[in-house]
Amino acid sequence: MFHWLEKHPFFFAVAVFLVIAFAGLIEILPNFAQASRPVIGTAPYSTLELAGRHVYIKNSCNACHSQLVRPFKSETDRYGHYSLSGEYAYDRPFLWGSKRTGPDLMRVGNYRTTDWHENHMKSPTSVVPGSIMPAYAWMFTNKADIETAYAEQLTVAQFFSVPYNKPVPMKDGSTMEVKMGADLAEANKLALEQASLIAADMKDQDVKDAVANGQIPEIVALIAYMNSLK
Amino acid sequence: MNKLYLWGIIITVVMLAATYYTLVITAGDSGKSLSEILSGDIVNALAIAGAVALVFITIFVVIKYVRQMQTDTADGKLAHEKWDGIGEYLNELPMGWAIMFLLTIIWGMWYFVLGYPVNAYSQIGEYNEDVAVHNAKFEKEYESITGERLVEMGESVYLAECKVCHGISADGIDGKAANLNARIEAKSVKYAIEHGANNHLLGMENPMPDRNGLMNNNTGALITDAEIDAVSTFVANKMTGAGADVFAGTCAVCHGEDGKGMESVAPNIVAFTPELVINILNHGKKGAIGAMPAFDRLNAKQKEAVGAYITSLSK
Repeated sequence: MFHWLEKHPFFFAVAVFLVIAFAGLIEILPNFAQASRPVIGTAPYSTLELAGRHVYIKNSCNACHSQLVRPFKSETDRYGHYSLSGEYAYDRPFLWGSKRTGPDLMRVGNYRTTDWHENHMKSPTSVVPGSIMPAYAWMFTNKADIETAYAEQLTVAQFFSVPYNKPVPMKDGSTMEVKMGADLAEANKLALEQASLIAADMKDQDVKDAVANGQIPEIVALIAYMNSLK
Repeated sequence: MNKLYLWGIIITVVMLAATYYTLVITAGDSGKSLSEILSGDIVNALAIAGAVALVFITIFVVIKYVRQMQTDTADGKLAHEKWDGIGEYLNELPMGWAIMFLLTIIWGMWYFVLGYPVNAYSQIGEYNEDVAVHNAKFEKEYESITGERLVEMGESVYLAECKVCHGISADGIDGKAANLNARIEAKSVKYAIEHGANNHLLGMENPMPDRNGLMNNNTGALITDAEIDAVSTFVANKMTGAGADVFAGTCAVCHGEDGKGMESVAPNIVAFTPELVINILNHGKKGAIGAMPAFDRLNAKQKEAVGAYITSLSK
């Protein structure tokens, strides 16, 4: 058979294609498995949370913080359940990180709150005495980029069918719906709504004033993102 | 004698000499004699034996193949096809190779069908075993501890989980979280009166109402701002000072005349109780200072321990 193939270039090419296609299938098929689909309880990011994610990436938080809880007792005791692949379904790109100078943040929303993040970002050593994390004071004045976040939302909704404005199943059997604005004005409004809920739990008067005036400081977006990590 | 064998003997001698020389130098550096090294850790003797064996094997193999190249003539039959003028012998497969090939195929079938799916290492499996072992150990050693040891356990859990907000000395780090060395601050009392409190935490149906539901039985009217301030200070000062009458008229119905609470009705507001701490660990809390998340990750004993520790702080 091989002699014959060697004398017939066309069929040889077909055979090569088949072999490589088979190998490809073996690699590609698992991605369609249930395990890699969004885990129940995993919801897409809202506009404000995405803007916070951009702040997270912009400040290179992932250089020191991982977002990947490994299946070891010592880690699950500290951070909660080990990470599942489907939990990253809406992360583009995922932010696993490769180094833990600081703790893992995969589920930080479960055990830290808005006011803690506010204290901590302003002055990390005020709450964690031995911390070597720098303060991120500019986040309290810089404004979050809602426009880019909305652009990303539109893109992933269109090209990857991320379920915005659709019911997403939650762990307790209920459903929730993450809203995406029909246009930038509505996206801004939705982001501002979420931002004012967070600002209400914050103490910094400048941040509160900014949100009341329709502006969203980066810290608010970042805290929204942190709180969404569960 | 063939020149090849002569070279073989010469190179063998030189390489053995080099091995010996290296050994002597090493021995000199480490301040031991050669016999001491050989009689010490068996690994050293094995390594030297391996080095000597390598010398002999190398020379033997080289001589064998050089001899073969010198004497062999091509007398096999060639296959019919030629590839760009390069022919292929129609020799039988070497027996050793053929057997290994066959065994590899058999092993491959076993591995794909049984070996990998049934016996494969699983990280999650190992994790589950680890957790089971840990839980069994926990149950055996810690499930029944009480008193002082329970407080000690509570302190270590506190230092791992709670100190990030409440501080190492449990003082709440300058008002960033509740000060656990005292039961309650005036502003927290005030917040609870003004906004109500969710005592679903204690497993009841009726939460504490906000100020629009709090009557002062002494005056027969809703509680006033001045009364709120007075009673807040009164409670924060461990039930002393002005405001006692407001407390008796408004709060005592549920929290008891001494403020120690009533089971399934209202919590103790004079001192921490393990029950209260466990409820907050289970459900979290939102109050005057900020929000606290629930700590579901702790097991029941750990929550009890934290309760015991925090109760012990303000005693």
